[in-house]
Amino acid sequence: MTVKGNWQSSDPLLEMDGVSVDFPVKRAYPFGKRRWIQAVTDVSLNIAEGETFGIVGESGCGKSTLGNAMIGMVRPTAGTVRFQGDDLYALKPKAFKESRRNMQMIFQDPFSSLNPRFSVYDIIKEPMYIRGGASEAEMKAKVLELLKLVGLDEEDLHRNPSDFSGGQRQRIGIARAIVLNPRFLICDEPVSGLDVSVHAQIMNLLMEIQERLNLTYVFISHNLAVVKNVCQNVLVMYLGKVMEAGTSDALFANPQHPYTKALLSAVLDVDVESSRERILLKGDTPSPIDPPKGCRFWQRCPFAMKGCETIPAELVDVEPGHQIACHLISGFSAEQAAAGLNEPAASQPES
Amino acid sequence: MTDTVLEVRNLKVAFPAPGGVIRAVEGIDLTTTKGECVALVGESGCGKSVTALSVMKLLRTPPSVSRIDKLQLDGRDLTHLTERDMERIRGKDMAMIFQDAMTALNPVMTVGKQIDEVYRRHTKMSRKQAREETVKALELVGVPEARSRADSFPHELSGGMRQRVLIALAFACMPKLIIADEPTTSLDVTIQAQVLDVLKSMQRDHDVSALLITHDLSVVANMADTVYVMYSGKIVERAAVLELFTDPRHPYTEGLLASVPKLSDDKQAFVQIPDTVPHPMHKPDGCYFHPRCSHVGFRCDQQMPRLETLQNGRQIRCWHPLRQERVT
Repeated sequence: MTVKGNWQSSDPLLEMDGVSVDFPVKRAYPFGKRRWIQAVTDVSLNIAEGETFGIVGESGCGKSTLGNAMIGMVRPTAGTVRFQGDDLYALKPKAFKESRRNMQMIFQDPFSSLNPRFSVYDIIKEPMYIRGGASEAEMKAKVLELLKLVGLDEEDLHRNPSDFSGGQRQRIGIARAIVLNPRFLICDEPVSGLDVSVHAQIMNLLMEIQERLNLTYVFISHNLAVVKNVCQNVLVMYLGKVMEAGTSDALFANPQHPYTKALLSAVLDVDVESSRERILLKGDTPSPIDPPKGCRFWQRCPFAMKGCETIPAELVDVEPGHQIACHLISGFSAEQAAAGLNEPAASQPES
Repeated sequence: MTDTVLEVRNLKVAFPAPGGVIRAVEGIDLTTTKGECVALVGESGCGKSVTALSVMKLLRTPPSVSRIDKLQLDGRDLTHLTERDMERIRGKDMAMIFQDAMTALNPVMTVGKQIDEVYRRHTKMSRKQAREETVKALELVGVPEARSRADSFPHELSGGMRQRVLIALAFACMPKLIIADEPTTSLDVTIQAQVLDVLKSMQRDHDVSALLITHDLSVVANMADTVYVMYSGKIVERAAVLELFTDPRHPYTEGLLASVPKLSDDKQAFVQIPDTVPHPMHKPDGCYFHPRCSHVGFRCDQQMPRLETLQNGRQIRCWHPLRQERVT
């Protein structure tokens, strides 16, 4: 079980405890061995009211699955998710629906997440309509108010998504997400489908809305520079496991895990004058089906040592507000050494 | 620097559309020299991919209508070549690396066979020789166990490997010009770093001229020698990479540079360019950028500025260019 860091608040809005999500893989042949994609393995975290929590990682590391598990879209195979103190997956359907209203999501692709046959008005009012209890006039007033908030015109009300650019569509998506006054918003790569010059507009809009409505954000991204600028706490994931976690100040000032370091150095900069030393990782992300038994990163790690491939690394505190799962930092404990190190170490595959 | 490889003069491309004409590219001049990497940067819809396709003469007419004054590759005029002649040139003298390797490769053919085809088509190699060359080409781009990987199908390879295969395919006949259209956009950061490294060393080692099409300024900063910035079908600035990044003159370039979040930034609001790119059918009067520009002034909304050439080949299209002469 992972240790919860002292950097995380004791009275969280959302609490995850040892959450794992596995997906079954279709068997290759009948009666074959059942295999599982271990999308998320043993993640524990607390998210406090009003903060922005970042999840970073490459594609396939489980960051979106983790986000989905947070708001009740994917049932974890193990562990609990508590939202406002209630165990989300033990709630009765009615109470679950009630909770769910407080959590919304902004999707990555504004082209496929809006119904092309709905007008802007229909799209934004849909959540209110489903909840019921609001008259047409009330819904219209609310939609108009939100359109103004996200920077669209009143005239846009009856146009279809196809009339809008990517940035404007994302604004519609944001309006839809906040129409029921949620407390908790998951932004799953909200700007990566957009043009560079529009990125900043949408990011600023999200920040402004957060301030005005006192929202809690989970910000899922592969862009470290954006995460660094908006998040208070950050989780770095690799192949379903947390590699490093902490306050964004501590983590970015002093990255400890070889993967975080490599990820940071792989970010290309527009600064042409400075030359940084870049760590190039070998090979590709391995498949999350039957991932490595020990540290999930060992095959690509430039510092892998004997034991890394058999003994899973646990998250340990390196400094207040900064946790890391790496044997380089924590070393091997006595019983681990006795149990694991005696096994013959597999040779590192050339890749 | 007189080894001109590609020379494009006054390229114009338009697409008829219901209710008007979309002028995708409006008079573009481009030159690349031997061993140089030229980047064409711009947002989606600015006409950068259309430019690349017209250079390869891959745009079909209809629907597109294009006009070009001069299209020269290594001294050879391509303007009036027939489709048959172009087929001999594509893959041999110039080649393209596409963005999405999954759709660019044939899914029912092994990757080795697809590269063999290039050699078989453009040289008089036997099957066996071609396969030898293919394996060499794959090794060159860092595909491990190239000989056995050549027999795998595209879906059996990872995204980074597929992109390497595309690079090997493009460099197979050592063309004079490589056009890379968003070569790393669909890849993860760590894989992107690997692939860019491969692309850069291939281009440098073989002294090939490259035209890099991208929207990602950080890729440009790491790859290119010269940069053309495009906006709404027109070139707004051309400069050497160092000059462009340290001393942008066009307000659009400055805005683009500022809007890229940097790791060195402190926590603060993101710098943004207001509004969005104009619809290609309804471009504003005057300078296309003026409704979004922070430095609008006299004449901006009336007349399109000319592309002025400054010293050392720098070009800029603006009535009120930024003057950030550094005091030394």
